[in-house]
Amino acid sequence: MIENPVIRVKNFTGYYGEKAGVKDINVDFGKNKITAIIGPSGCGKSTLLRSINRMNDNIPVYRTEGEILFEGQNINERGVDLTKFRKKVGMVFQRPTPFPMSIYDNITFGPKLHGIKRKSQLDEIVETSLRQASLFDEVKDDLKKSAWGLSGGQQQRLCIARALAVDPEVILLDEPTSALDPIATKHIENLVEELVAKYTIIIVTHNLAQAVRISDYMLFMFQGDLIEYGKTSDIVKQPKDPKTEEYLTGKIS
Amino acid sequence: MKRDLIISTVFRIISYFAFLVVVFIFLTTIIDGLQYFSWEFFTQSPSKGMTAGGVFPAIIGSIYMLLLSLLFAIPIGLMTGIYLSEYGGNSKLAELLLTAITSLAGVPSVVFGLFGLAMFSIAFGFRTSILSGSLTLAIMTLPVISSSVHEALNSIPRDIRESAYALGAKKTEVIFKVLIPYAKLRVLTAILIGGGRIIGETAPVLLTGAIFYATRMPDSVMDPTMTLPTHIYYITMAYGDKAQWMAKGTISVLMLFVLIIYSIAFVIRGRMQKIK
Repeated sequence: MIENPVIRVKNFTGYYGEKAGVKDINVDFGKNKITAIIGPSGCGKSTLLRSINRMNDNIPVYRTEGEILFEGQNINERGVDLTKFRKKVGMVFQRPTPFPMSIYDNITFGPKLHGIKRKSQLDEIVETSLRQASLFDEVKDDLKKSAWGLSGGQQQRLCIARALAVDPEVILLDEPTSALDPIATKHIENLVEELVAKYTIIIVTHNLAQAVRISDYMLFMFQGDLIEYGKTSDIVKQPKDPKTEEYLTGKIS
Repeated sequence: MKRDLIISTVFRIISYFAFLVVVFIFLTTIIDGLQYFSWEFFTQSPSKGMTAGGVFPAIIGSIYMLLLSLLFAIPIGLMTGIYLSEYGGNSKLAELLLTAITSLAGVPSVVFGLFGLAMFSIAFGFRTSILSGSLTLAIMTLPVISSSVHEALNSIPRDIRESAYALGAKKTEVIFKVLIPYAKLRVLTAILIGGGRIIGETAPVLLTGAIFYATRMPDSVMDPTMTLPTHIYYITMAYGDKAQWMAKGTISVLMLFVLIIYSIAFVIRGRMQKIK
Protein backbone atom coordinates (compact mmCIF):
# COMPACT_ATOMS: atom_id res chain seq x y z
CA MET A 1 0.00 0.00 0.00
CA ILE A 2 2.78 2.40 0.87
CA GLU A 3 5.45 3.08 -1.71
CA ASN A 4 9.03 3.31 -0.62
CA PRO A 5 8.62 2.47 3.06
CA VAL A 6 11.49 3.71 5.23
CA ILE A 7 10.24 2.06 8.36
CA ARG A 8 8.31 -1.19 8.42
CA VAL A 9 6.67 -2.40 11.58
CA LYS A 10 5.85 -6.11 11.53
CA ASN A 11 3.79 -7.99 14.13
CA PHE A 12 5.20 -5.62 16.70
CA THR A 13 4.13 -5.84 20.33
CA GLY A 14 5.61 -3.76 23.13
CA TYR A 15 5.17 -4.84 26.73
CA TYR A 16 5.52 -2.84 29.92
CA GLY A 17 6.06 -5.77 32.25
CA GLU A 18 3.08 -8.04 31.59
CA LYS A 19 0.89 -5.41 30.02
CA ALA A 20 1.07 -4.79 26.29
CA GLY A 21 1.30 -1.09 25.45
CA VAL A 22 0.91 -1.77 21.73
CA LYS A 23 -0.36 -5.04 20.28
CA ASP A 24 0.59 -6.77 17.07
CA ILE A 25 1.14 -3.66 14.98
CA ASN A 26 1.73 -3.90 11.23
CA VAL A 27 2.40 -0.68 9.43
CA ASP A 28 4.74 0.91 6.89
CA PHE A 29 5.87 4.51 7.00
CA GLY A 30 6.44 6.05 3.59
CA LYS A 31 9.46 8.06 2.57
CA ASN A 32 8.96 11.84 2.50
CA LYS A 33 5.47 11.55 3.90
CA ILE A 34 3.96 12.94 7.05
CA THR A 35 2.25 10.19 8.98
CA ALA A 36 0.15 11.18 11.97
CA ILE A 37 -0.49 8.75 14.81
CA ILE A 38 -3.73 9.65 16.53
CA GLY A 39 -5.95 8.19 19.21
CA PRO A 40 -7.18 8.83 22.73
CA SER A 41 -4.81 9.13 25.73
CA GLY A 42 -3.19 5.84 26.67
CA CYS A 43 -3.92 4.24 23.28
CA GLY A 44 -0.25 3.41 22.72
CA LYS A 45 0.60 6.08 20.16
CA SER A 46 3.60 7.36 22.10
CA THR A 47 4.75 3.81 22.84
CA LEU A 48 4.76 3.06 19.12
CA LEU A 49 6.61 6.27 18.30
CA ARG A 50 9.18 5.73 21.05
CA SER A 51 9.77 2.18 19.88
CA ILE A 52 10.85 3.47 16.49
CA ASN A 53 14.05 4.98 17.89
CA ARG A 54 14.29 2.61 20.87
CA MET A 55 13.64 5.40 23.35
CA ASN A 56 11.96 2.86 25.63
CA ASP A 57 15.28 1.07 26.09
CA ASN A 58 15.70 3.16 29.21
CA ILE A 59 12.58 1.67 30.77
CA PRO A 60 13.81 -1.50 32.48
CA VAL A 61 10.53 -3.43 32.25
CA TYR A 62 9.95 -2.69 28.58
CA ARG A 63 10.41 -5.52 26.07
CA THR A 64 9.34 -6.10 22.52
CA GLU A 65 8.21 -8.85 20.14
CA GLY A 66 8.10 -8.72 16.37
CA GLU A 67 10.19 -6.44 14.20
CA ILE A 68 10.74 -2.85 13.33
CA LEU A 69 12.80 -2.53 10.18
CA PHE A 70 14.68 0.63 9.30
CA GLU A 71 16.06 0.48 5.76
CA GLY A 72 15.64 -3.26 5.89
CA GLN A 73 17.41 -3.85 9.18
CA ASN A 74 15.71 -4.93 12.41
CA ILE A 75 16.50 -2.15 14.85
CA ASN A 76 16.02 -4.33 17.89
CA GLU A 77 18.65 -6.81 16.82
CA ARG A 78 21.73 -7.29 18.94
CA GLY A 79 24.72 -5.38 17.70
CA VAL A 80 22.80 -2.41 16.32
CA ASP A 81 24.92 0.67 16.96
CA LEU A 82 22.41 2.88 18.78
CA THR A 83 24.51 6.01 18.29
CA LYS A 84 24.63 5.59 14.53
CA PHE A 85 21.01 4.47 14.34
CA ARG A 86 19.66 7.39 16.35
CA LYS A 87 21.63 9.79 14.19
CA LYS A 88 19.34 8.72 11.37
CA VAL A 89 16.12 8.81 13.37
CA GLY A 90 15.77 12.10 15.22
CA MET A 91 13.16 13.00 17.79
CA VAL A 92 11.48 16.13 19.14
CA PHE A 93 9.49 16.04 22.35
CA GLN A 94 6.33 17.45 23.82
CA ARG A 95 7.90 20.27 25.74
CA PRO A 96 10.87 22.17 24.31
CA THR A 97 14.10 20.72 25.69
CA PRO A 98 16.89 23.19 25.08
CA PHE A 99 20.11 22.13 26.77
CA PRO A 100 21.64 24.57 29.29
CA MET A 101 24.07 26.09 26.81
CA SER A 102 24.14 28.61 23.98
CA ILE A 103 21.99 28.34 20.86
CA TYR A 104 25.12 27.53 18.88
CA ASP A 105 26.20 24.78 21.27
CA ASN A 106 22.72 23.28 21.29
CA ILE A 107 22.89 22.83 17.52
CA THR A 108 26.45 21.54 17.45
CA PHE A 109 25.85 19.12 20.33
CA GLY A 110 24.81 16.29 18.00
CA PRO A 111 27.35 16.86 15.23
CA LYS A 112 30.17 16.98 17.80
CA LEU A 113 29.03 13.66 19.27
CA HIS A 114 29.38 12.20 15.82
CA GLY A 115 32.92 13.47 15.42
CA ILE A 116 32.59 16.74 13.53
CA LYS A 117 35.18 19.14 14.93
CA ARG A 118 36.05 21.68 12.24
CA LYS A 119 34.75 25.10 13.18
CA SER A 120 33.87 26.10 9.62
CA GLN A 121 31.87 22.92 9.15
CA LEU A 122 30.06 23.40 12.47
CA ASP A 123 29.28 27.02 11.59
CA GLU A 124 27.76 25.85 8.34
CA ILE A 125 25.66 23.19 10.09
CA VAL A 126 24.37 25.76 12.56
CA GLU A 127 23.27 28.12 9.83
CA THR A 128 21.71 25.44 7.63
CA SER A 129 19.83 23.76 10.49
CA LEU A 130 18.53 27.04 11.86
CA ARG A 131 17.44 28.14 8.39
CA GLN A 132 15.66 24.84 7.85
CA ALA A 133 13.86 25.33 11.15
CA SER A 134 13.08 28.92 10.05
CA LEU A 135 14.75 30.29 13.14
CA PHE A 136 17.95 31.68 11.70
CA ASP A 137 16.80 35.25 11.07
CA GLU A 138 15.44 35.55 14.60
CA VAL A 139 18.59 34.38 16.37
CA LYS A 140 21.50 35.01 14.01
CA ASP A 141 22.91 37.77 16.23
CA ASP A 142 22.38 35.85 19.46
CA LEU A 143 23.99 32.50 18.65
CA LYS A 144 26.23 32.74 21.70
CA LYS A 145 23.35 33.51 24.05
CA SER A 146 21.69 30.92 26.25
CA ALA A 147 18.96 28.92 24.55
CA TRP A 148 16.89 29.32 27.71
CA GLY A 149 16.26 32.94 26.80
CA LEU A 150 14.18 32.04 23.73
CA SER A 151 10.38 31.90 23.72
CA GLY A 152 8.62 28.53 23.89
CA GLY A 153 7.93 28.43 20.17
CA GLN A 154 11.50 29.44 19.33
CA GLN A 155 12.83 26.81 21.73
CA GLN A 156 10.80 24.14 19.99
CA ARG A 157 12.10 25.23 16.58
CA LEU A 158 15.59 25.17 18.07
CA CYS A 159 14.97 21.57 19.13
CA ILE A 160 13.87 20.76 15.59
CA ALA A 161 17.01 22.45 14.25
CA ARG A 162 19.08 20.47 16.73
CA ALA A 163 17.51 17.24 15.49
CA LEU A 164 18.17 18.26 11.87
CA ALA A 165 21.80 19.09 12.60
CA VAL A 166 22.84 15.42 12.68
CA ASP A 167 21.35 14.95 9.21
CA PRO A 168 18.66 12.37 10.00
CA GLU A 169 16.38 10.61 7.56
CA VAL A 170 13.38 10.26 9.82
CA ILE A 171 12.05 12.76 12.36
CA LEU A 172 9.76 11.61 15.13
CA LEU A 173 7.60 14.32 16.69
CA ASP A 174 5.91 13.51 19.97
CA GLU A 175 3.09 16.04 20.35
CA PRO A 176 5.48 18.84 19.43
CA THR A 177 2.94 21.65 19.76
CA SER A 178 1.01 20.63 22.84
CA ALA A 179 2.88 23.12 25.03
CA LEU A 180 2.71 25.99 22.53
CA ASP A 181 0.30 28.83 21.80
CA PRO A 182 -1.71 28.83 18.53
CA ILE A 183 0.66 31.12 16.64
CA ALA A 184 3.73 29.12 17.57
CA THR A 185 1.79 25.97 16.71
CA LYS A 186 0.97 27.29 13.25
CA HIS A 187 4.62 28.12 12.77
CA ILE A 188 5.68 24.55 13.62
CA GLU A 189 2.99 23.08 11.38
CA ASN A 190 4.18 25.14 8.41
CA LEU A 191 7.70 24.08 9.16
CA VAL A 192 6.80 20.39 9.25
CA GLU A 193 5.10 20.75 5.87
CA GLU A 194 8.30 22.24 4.44
CA LEU A 195 10.58 19.66 6.00
CA VAL A 196 8.76 16.69 4.53
CA ALA A 197 10.35 17.41 1.15
CA LYS A 198 13.63 16.19 2.62
CA TYR A 199 12.66 14.02 5.58
CA THR A 200 10.23 11.32 6.56
CA ILE A 201 8.06 12.58 9.39
CA ILE A 202 6.03 10.69 11.95
CA ILE A 203 4.02 12.82 14.33
CA VAL A 204 2.00 11.84 17.37
CA THR A 205 -0.66 14.38 18.09
CA HIS A 206 -3.61 14.90 20.36
CA ASN A 207 -4.89 17.54 18.07
CA LEU A 208 -7.09 15.91 15.44
CA ALA A 209 -7.45 19.08 13.41
CA GLN A 210 -3.67 19.32 13.26
CA ALA A 211 -3.36 15.75 12.05
CA VAL A 212 -5.92 16.41 9.33
CA ARG A 213 -4.21 19.65 8.29
CA ILE A 214 -0.70 18.39 7.87
CA SER A 215 -0.56 14.61 7.46
CA ASP A 216 -0.50 12.53 4.29
CA TYR A 217 -1.23 9.32 6.11
CA MET A 218 -3.04 8.67 9.32
CA LEU A 219 -2.88 5.87 11.80
CA PHE A 220 -5.62 5.52 14.39
CA MET A 221 -4.93 3.55 17.54
CA PHE A 222 -7.21 2.48 20.33
CA GLN A 223 -6.28 0.60 23.52
CA GLY A 224 -3.00 -0.62 22.06
CA ASP A 225 -4.46 -1.81 18.77
CA LEU A 226 -4.00 -0.30 15.36
CA ILE A 227 -7.57 0.26 14.27
CA GLU A 228 -7.18 1.95 10.93
CA TYR A 229 -4.43 3.13 8.67
CA GLY A 230 -4.56 4.90 5.34
CA LYS A 231 -4.43 8.17 3.44
CA THR A 232 -5.60 10.97 5.69
CA SER A 233 -8.06 12.23 3.11
CA ASP A 234 -9.62 8.79 2.76
CA ILE A 235 -9.95 8.22 6.49
CA VAL A 236 -11.45 11.61 7.11
CA LYS A 237 -13.91 11.20 4.26
CA GLN A 238 -14.88 7.65 4.99
CA PRO A 239 -13.56 5.87 8.04
CA LYS A 240 -13.86 2.09 7.72
CA ASP A 241 -14.02 1.26 11.38
CA PRO A 242 -16.83 2.51 13.64
CA LYS A 243 -14.22 3.27 16.37
CA THR A 244 -12.39 5.61 14.01
CA GLU A 245 -15.61 7.35 13.18
CA GLU A 246 -16.46 7.75 16.85
CA TYR A 247 -13.04 9.29 17.42
CA LEU A 248 -13.25 11.60 14.43
CA THR A 249 -16.68 12.81 15.48
CA GLY A 250 -15.56 13.37 19.04
CA LYS A 251 -17.59 10.60 20.68
CA ILE A 252 -14.44 9.08 22.18
CA SER A 253 -11.47 11.17 23.10
CA MET B 1 -12.88 30.97 55.94
CA LYS B 2 -12.34 32.46 59.32
CA ARG B 3 -10.46 29.39 60.47
CA ASP B 4 -8.23 29.56 57.40
CA LEU B 5 -7.39 33.14 58.24
CA ILE B 6 -6.50 32.31 61.83
CA ILE B 7 -4.33 29.37 60.85
CA SER B 8 -2.52 31.29 58.13
CA THR B 9 -1.89 34.17 60.53
CA VAL B 10 -0.48 31.83 63.15
CA PHE B 11 1.83 30.24 60.61
CA ARG B 12 2.90 33.62 59.36
CA ILE B 13 3.76 34.84 62.86
CA ILE B 14 5.73 31.70 63.60
CA SER B 15 7.72 31.94 60.39
CA TYR B 16 8.41 35.64 60.95
CA PHE B 17 9.61 34.71 64.41
CA ALA B 18 12.06 32.15 62.99
CA PHE B 19 13.30 34.74 60.54
CA LEU B 20 13.71 37.32 63.30
CA VAL B 21 15.76 34.90 65.41
CA VAL B 22 18.16 34.35 62.51
CA VAL B 23 18.48 38.07 61.82
CA PHE B 24 18.92 38.77 65.52
CA ILE B 25 21.72 36.23 65.89
CA PHE B 26 23.58 37.48 62.84
CA LEU B 27 23.16 41.15 63.65
CA THR B 28 24.06 41.02 67.34
CA THR B 29 27.09 38.77 66.88
CA ILE B 30 28.44 40.72 63.94
CA ILE B 31 27.79 44.18 65.37
CA ASP B 32 29.11 43.22 68.79
CA GLY B 33 32.52 42.40 67.35
CA LEU B 34 32.80 45.11 64.72
CA GLN B 35 34.30 47.62 67.17
CA TYR B 36 37.41 45.44 67.56
CA PHE B 37 38.14 45.33 63.84
CA SER B 38 41.41 46.99 62.93
CA TRP B 39 44.26 46.51 60.54
CA GLU B 40 46.20 44.63 63.24
CA PHE B 41 43.24 42.40 64.01
CA PHE B 42 43.28 40.99 60.48
CA THR B 43 47.03 40.90 59.91
CA GLN B 44 48.70 39.87 63.16
CA SER B 45 48.93 36.85 65.41
CA PRO B 46 47.52 37.04 68.92
CA SER B 47 50.03 38.24 71.52
CA LYS B 48 50.39 38.94 75.24
CA GLY B 49 48.30 35.94 76.31
CA MET B 50 45.51 36.56 73.79
CA THR B 51 44.95 40.11 74.98
CA ALA B 52 46.47 41.88 72.00
CA GLY B 53 47.23 41.36 68.31
CA GLY B 54 44.88 39.73 65.85
CA VAL B 55 43.48 36.56 64.40
CA PHE B 56 45.30 36.34 61.08
CA PRO B 57 46.47 32.72 61.57
CA ALA B 58 42.94 31.60 62.43
CA ILE B 59 41.48 33.23 59.31
CA ILE B 60 44.09 31.60 57.11
CA GLY B 61 43.63 28.26 58.92
CA SER B 62 39.87 28.33 58.43
CA ILE B 63 40.25 29.09 54.73
CA TYR B 64 42.77 26.25 54.35
CA MET B 65 40.41 23.84 56.08
CA LEU B 66 37.45 24.96 54.00
CA LEU B 67 39.20 24.67 50.66
CA LEU B 68 40.94 21.40 51.38
CA SER B 69 37.84 19.70 52.72
CA LEU B 70 35.83 20.84 49.68
CA LEU B 71 38.61 19.50 47.50
CA PHE B 72 37.96 16.06 49.00
CA ALA B 73 34.21 16.31 49.39
CA ILE B 74 33.22 17.69 45.97
CA PRO B 75 34.52 14.89 43.73
CA ILE B 76 33.38 12.10 46.05
CA GLY B 77 30.02 13.78 46.65
CA LEU B 78 29.52 14.31 42.91
CA MET B 79 30.34 10.72 42.09
CA THR B 80 28.09 9.37 44.84
CA GLY B 81 25.21 11.58 43.72
CA ILE B 82 25.67 10.63 40.07
CA TYR B 83 25.79 6.95 40.98
CA LEU B 84 22.63 7.18 43.05
CA SER B 85 20.65 9.01 40.42
CA GLU B 86 21.95 7.55 37.18
CA TYR B 87 23.33 4.09 37.85
CA GLY B 88 21.95 2.77 41.11
CA GLY B 89 18.30 2.68 40.11
CA ASN B 90 16.43 0.60 42.64
CA SER B 91 19.36 -1.71 43.40
CA LYS B 92 20.12 -2.90 46.93
CA LEU B 93 23.46 -1.10 46.89
CA ALA B 94 21.87 2.22 45.98
CA GLU B 95 19.26 1.81 48.67
CA LEU B 96 21.93 1.01 51.23
CA LEU B 97 24.00 3.97 50.13
CA LEU B 98 21.05 6.32 50.39
CA THR B 99 20.27 5.10 53.90
CA ALA B 100 23.92 5.49 54.87
CA ILE B 101 24.04 9.05 53.55
CA THR B 102 20.86 10.03 55.33
CA SER B 103 22.11 8.55 58.59
CA LEU B 104 25.49 10.21 58.16
CA ALA B 105 23.72 13.56 58.09
CA GLY B 106 22.29 12.85 61.53
CA VAL B 107 25.53 11.92 63.28
CA PRO B 108 26.59 14.51 65.91
CA SER B 109 29.71 16.41 64.91
CA VAL B 110 31.69 15.37 67.97
CA VAL B 111 31.34 11.77 66.83
CA PHE B 112 32.83 12.74 63.49
CA GLY B 113 35.61 14.36 65.46
CA LEU B 114 36.35 11.22 67.42
CA PHE B 115 36.17 9.14 64.27
CA GLY B 116 38.58 11.50 62.52
CA LEU B 117 40.91 11.38 65.50
CA ALA B 118 40.97 7.58 65.53
CA MET B 119 41.06 7.14 61.77
CA PHE B 120 43.11 9.97 60.28
CA SER B 121 45.16 11.31 63.17
CA ILE B 122 46.09 7.96 64.72
CA ALA B 123 45.48 5.01 62.38
CA PHE B 124 46.68 6.83 59.24
CA GLY B 125 49.34 8.69 61.22
CA PHE B 126 48.34 12.16 59.98
CA ARG B 127 48.48 13.42 63.63
CA THR B 128 46.77 16.69 64.49
CA SER B 129 46.95 18.39 61.13
CA ILE B 130 45.09 20.35 58.49
CA LEU B 131 44.89 17.10 56.52
CA SER B 132 43.19 15.16 59.35
CA GLY B 133 40.83 18.06 60.01
CA SER B 134 39.86 18.54 56.37
CA LEU B 135 39.28 14.85 55.80
CA THR B 136 37.00 14.75 58.84
CA LEU B 137 35.10 17.82 57.66
CA ALA B 138 34.90 16.37 54.15
CA ILE B 139 33.14 13.27 55.50
CA MET B 140 30.73 15.52 57.36
CA THR B 141 29.78 17.47 54.23
CA LEU B 142 29.57 14.44 51.97
CA PRO B 143 25.89 13.77 52.73
CA VAL B 144 24.97 17.39 51.97
CA ILE B 145 26.72 17.37 48.61
CA SER B 146 25.85 13.87 47.44
CA SER B 147 22.19 14.05 48.35
CA SER B 148 21.81 17.43 46.67
CA VAL B 149 23.52 16.17 43.52
CA HIS B 150 21.21 13.17 43.62
CA GLU B 151 18.12 15.34 43.99
CA ALA B 152 19.23 17.87 41.40
CA LEU B 153 19.83 15.16 38.80
CA ASN B 154 16.60 13.38 39.68
CA SER B 155 14.54 16.52 39.17
CA ILE B 156 15.70 17.03 35.57
CA PRO B 157 12.75 16.35 33.23
CA ARG B 158 12.87 13.04 31.41
CA ASP B 159 12.54 14.81 28.04
CA ILE B 160 15.90 16.51 28.53
CA ARG B 161 17.74 13.22 28.97
CA GLU B 162 15.85 11.67 26.10
CA SER B 163 16.61 14.57 23.78
CA ALA B 164 20.29 13.89 24.33
CA TYR B 165 19.87 10.15 23.85
CA ALA B 166 17.84 10.80 20.69
CA LEU B 167 20.79 12.66 19.20
CA GLY B 168 22.90 9.55 19.67
CA ALA B 169 24.60 10.44 22.94
CA LYS B 170 25.86 7.66 25.18
CA LYS B 171 25.04 7.51 28.85
CA THR B 172 28.28 9.15 30.04
CA GLU B 173 27.87 11.87 27.44
CA VAL B 174 24.32 12.52 28.57
CA ILE B 175 25.44 12.75 32.21
CA PHE B 176 28.50 14.92 31.81
CA LYS B 177 27.54 17.10 28.85
CA VAL B 178 23.87 17.72 29.60
CA LEU B 179 22.74 16.67 33.07
CA ILE B 180 25.64 18.05 35.10
CA PRO B 181 25.54 21.44 33.35
CA TYR B 182 21.78 21.43 33.88
CA ALA B 183 22.12 20.76 37.60
CA LYS B 184 25.19 22.98 37.99
CA LEU B 185 23.64 25.88 39.87
CA ARG B 186 21.76 23.68 42.32
CA VAL B 187 24.88 21.69 43.06
CA LEU B 188 26.89 24.88 43.49
CA THR B 189 24.34 26.17 45.99
CA ALA B 190 24.57 22.94 47.97
CA ILE B 191 28.36 23.10 47.98
CA LEU B 192 28.25 26.66 49.32
CA ILE B 193 25.78 25.74 52.06
CA GLY B 194 28.02 22.78 52.92
CA GLY B 195 30.95 25.22 52.98
CA GLY B 196 29.06 27.50 55.35
CA ARG B 197 28.75 24.60 57.73
CA ILE B 198 32.37 23.51 57.40
CA ILE B 199 33.77 26.89 58.28
CA GLY B 200 31.84 27.03 61.54
CA GLU B 201 32.45 23.45 62.71
CA THR B 202 34.27 23.33 66.02
CA ALA B 203 34.24 19.91 67.67
CA PRO B 204 35.64 17.86 64.76
CA VAL B 205 38.41 20.36 64.13
CA LEU B 206 39.21 20.62 67.83
CA LEU B 207 39.90 16.90 67.90
CA THR B 208 41.75 16.50 64.62
CA GLY B 209 43.37 19.63 63.30
CA ALA B 210 43.41 22.60 65.62
CA ILE B 211 45.90 24.01 68.09
CA PHE B 212 45.16 26.92 70.35
CA TYR B 213 48.15 29.00 69.44
CA ALA B 214 50.48 29.26 66.49
CA THR B 215 53.10 31.87 65.96
CA ARG B 216 53.88 30.78 62.44
CA MET B 217 51.83 29.78 59.42
CA PRO B 218 51.49 26.07 58.69
CA ASP B 219 54.17 24.87 56.24
CA SER B 220 52.14 22.01 54.83
CA VAL B 221 48.87 20.16 55.25
CA MET B 222 50.63 17.99 57.82
CA ASP B 223 50.87 20.93 60.25
CA PRO B 224 48.12 21.79 62.70
CA THR B 225 46.50 25.21 62.46
CA MET B 226 44.38 27.72 64.31
CA THR B 227 40.83 28.16 62.99
CA LEU B 228 38.17 30.76 63.76
CA PRO B 229 35.66 28.57 65.63
CA THR B 230 38.28 26.74 67.73
CA HIS B 231 39.95 30.06 68.53
CA ILE B 232 36.65 31.34 69.90
CA TYR B 233 36.24 28.18 71.92
CA TYR B 234 39.74 28.33 73.45
CA ILE B 235 39.47 31.97 74.40
CA THR B 236 36.08 31.70 76.06
CA MET B 237 37.03 28.52 77.89
CA ALA B 238 40.56 29.19 79.01
CA TYR B 239 41.30 32.90 79.07
CA GLY B 240 40.40 35.71 81.39
CA ASP B 241 38.23 38.76 80.90
CA LYS B 242 41.00 40.68 79.21
CA ALA B 243 40.93 38.26 76.25
CA GLN B 244 37.17 38.18 75.72
CA TRP B 245 37.18 41.09 73.26
CA MET B 246 39.13 38.88 70.89
CA ALA B 247 36.48 36.17 71.04
CA LYS B 248 33.81 38.74 70.18
CA GLY B 249 35.85 40.04 67.26
CA THR B 250 36.51 36.54 66.03
CA ILE B 251 32.82 35.62 66.21
CA SER B 252 32.12 38.67 64.13
CA VAL B 253 34.66 37.60 61.49
CA LEU B 254 33.30 34.05 61.44
CA MET B 255 29.70 35.16 61.10
CA LEU B 256 30.66 37.52 58.29
CA PHE B 257 32.29 34.61 56.47
CA VAL B 258 29.15 32.51 56.90
CA LEU B 259 26.95 35.41 55.84
CA ILE B 260 29.00 35.98 52.70
CA ILE B 261 28.98 32.30 51.74
CA TYR B 262 25.23 32.00 52.30
CA SER B 263 24.54 35.25 50.44
CA ILE B 264 26.37 33.94 47.39
CA ALA B 265 24.33 30.74 47.65
CA PHE B 266 21.08 32.69 47.78
CA VAL B 267 22.05 34.94 44.90
CA ILE B 268 22.73 31.84 42.80
CA ARG B 269 19.45 30.31 43.89
CA GLY B 270 17.63 33.48 42.89
CA ARG B 271 19.28 33.51 39.48
CA MET B 272 18.37 29.88 39.04
CA GLN B 273 14.70 30.57 39.62
CA LYS B 274 14.79 33.38 37.11
CA ILE B 275 16.23 31.15 34.40
CA LYS B 276 13.70 28.34 34.72
